[in-house]
Amino acid sequence: SLRDTVPRGDCETVCPNTPCFSEVAYSQSTGQKEQLSRCLQRGIRRVQDLCKVLQLPTVFEETAVSYVQRALQHPSFHLVSLEKKELLGGCCVFVTCRQHNWPLTMGTICSLLYAKQELFASVYLSLQKELELSVPALSLADLVKTHLNSFRLFQHAADIPAPFVENKEKVVARTMQIVELASETWLVTGRHPVPIVTAAAFLSWQSLQPATRLACTLARFCKLARVDLPPPAHLRLKELLEILLRMASQLAWLRVFNLDKKTVVKHIGDLLQHRIFLLKSAFCPEDEEEQQCAAAPGEASPGSAAGAVQGGGCPSAGKRRPLLPPCLVNPRKRLRTAAPSASDSAVTGEEPISDGEIEQYLRGPEEIRAFRKAQACAAAPSTLPTPCLATCCI
Amino acid sequence: MDGSSLLEQYLERCDGQDDISTSPQLFTPMSPYDVDFPIQTTEDVLFGSQFNQPKELPTDFSSVDLSFLPDITQENKAQNLFEDGHEMQKELDGSTSNEDSSILTDESILAYPDATQATPEASGGCPPLTPIAPMTPVTPASESSGIVPQLQNIVSTVNLACKLDLKNIALRARNAEYNPKRFAAVIMRIREPRTTALIFSSGKMVCTGAKSEEQSRLAARKYARVVQKLGFPAKFLDFKIQNMVGSCDVMFPIRLEGLVLTHQQFSSYEPELFPGLIYRMVKPRIVLLIFVSGKVVLTGAKERSEIYEAFESIYPILKGFKKAS
Repeated sequence: SLRDTVPRGDCETVCPNTPCFSEVAYSQSTGQKEQLSRCLQRGIRRVQDLCKVLQLPTVFEETAVSYVQRALQHPSFHLVSLEKKELLGGCCVFVTCRQHNWPLTMGTICSLLYAKQELFASVYLSLQKELELSVPALSLADLVKTHLNSFRLFQHAADIPAPFVENKEKVVARTMQIVELASETWLVTGRHPVPIVTAAAFLSWQSLQPATRLACTLARFCKLARVDLPPPAHLRLKELLEILLRMASQLAWLRVFNLDKKTVVKHIGDLLQHRIFLLKSAFCPEDEEEQQCAAAPGEASPGSAAGAVQGGGCPSAGKRRPLLPPCLVNPRKRLRTAAPSASDSAVTGEEPISDGEIEQYLRGPEEIRAFRKAQACAAAPSTLPTPCLATCCI
Repeated sequence: MDGSSLLEQYLERCDGQDDISTSPQLFTPMSPYDVDFPIQTTEDVLFGSQFNQPKELPTDFSSVDLSFLPDITQENKAQNLFEDGHEMQKELDGSTSNEDSSILTDESILAYPDATQATPEASGGCPPLTPIAPMTPVTPASESSGIVPQLQNIVSTVNLACKLDLKNIALRARNAEYNPKRFAAVIMRIREPRTTALIFSSGKMVCTGAKSEEQSRLAARKYARVVQKLGFPAKFLDFKIQNMVGSCDVMFPIRLEGLVLTHQQFSSYEPELFPGLIYRMVKPRIVLLIFVSGKVVLTGAKERSEIYEAFESIYPILKGFKKAS
């Protein structure tokens, strides 16, 4: 009963006989919830729920709650829409996870919040800016471990062919190496991280038993593993294979095989083992001239490759190209805005403006009449007789 | 790219900012050490507010952005400045005397803040050493990027100071677009300078798309004239440049993951959201978008000098990354 919840002690000593206060619930009398606005309460509850679902350490919850408090007290978040305020809790959890290098992707948080990624993104960026939070970049190594946890290929099941089941530790280890390779060869910077991990996982899984798995496509692999196939994963796979092929061209005993995108998978183990050496010999440093690049590895003769563009100078070693991000290797054709001409620079802003130039932008009276008619026709075509439509619509 | 004339314009602007310097000549060591260059801020911070600077110096240095500090130490810098200035002194013959050459020691650079502020009229001889005057950047040649960002967009506003009938304007102007359900302004365009204007019924106008401040002003005036010719008593009040956007290319790829690690307080790199790194520079207050390809977009400037200054600040940082990778 209420009587039991009301703190009595002191008050009874002060006024023993007359009731000096009415009986209220403990939480109300202590004003525990009074101080917090409803938004803040909701925000805190959202944080607590998310931390529970994601099974985060307790300290994460404390940090995230403090961020929510700071954010809601910040003037720039006072007037933000309720829809955005709903996402604040999730953003704070996301930031906390990243600061502790807990690999949580935005995609995951958005799906847990049923939020549109653009809206989440804008709330997140505002939060980061207004609270001046420094958020470290997502750790790919941790992401590999977390993401592979959701793959369903590590235990036998009725719908998975026996040769497709693989040892989890092996897949994780090799996927890490391939992701590192991708990072070293500029395939990661500026790209969505998850598709890279998906493509790397596929290659790693294939290469562990190529005989039975080469025929399996990326799409089928994802379906079997019960994971989403993000669209960029196909492109990442293509880029990874290209890098691997270039590396393979530097291994003497592989050159004879004339490897292609399928067969190179069989040798991924070897390629990863010698990747440091192979990267050095397959690619020249970013700022080297293409001419120097064309010289066969080991030869110190920049002059000999004079005139030869990529690969002209080396007979069998394969072309060496500079190690560059794909956007620089295959630049999309783009209209370059012309540099300001001399006449452009001479503009003062105070030039006289001729009447003629302005009048070209004005409608003459005939034109205005015709335009008015056309507007009326467009507004209510059914009310006007057909001949009118024919004459006024130019 | 007509880089040299743009750079000259920028440098002339800096010259104009000097309150103390009265000398119109550029090649004079008498111009005081308060030209608005990035290196300047470093010196300010390190030499303290004993300098009688026209600008206010932050007394609390914790908020000062020192992220653009290049690799060389402060002493080296002072030495370089001294050496360059020393050459200058030799070239301008006549005014140097034996007494003055005694000033030209390393200590003089570091002792400068303690000395009374040099003025062009000070004691006959040359005042203590100052860096080379604005014709070339203060930073030694090996440090200056040699790249000049190109302006891509200018946003300006102006007040036509009269109420406008937008429906009427849309009817009588050929280059106008008006969908009140979608947006409460007339969208007007002119061919030269190629720009777009948003004209509101309050008489306020926004002009976008110009490639220079002057072009933006000219365009805004043309829009005002169109509105005038349509019969409204349009004026041209409070023209102001609100934002300037520039872009350039450092010509080498950048490891954004590394940059966000070393400059965490200023950087936001979220490849899940956007392929570029968002760098919020504090001084000048400019936002830079840095991409893996080496292309850089700079925005948030009210004056073009801020764009150039921001780029010169970021360039050594980016270059540092090139060597590291």
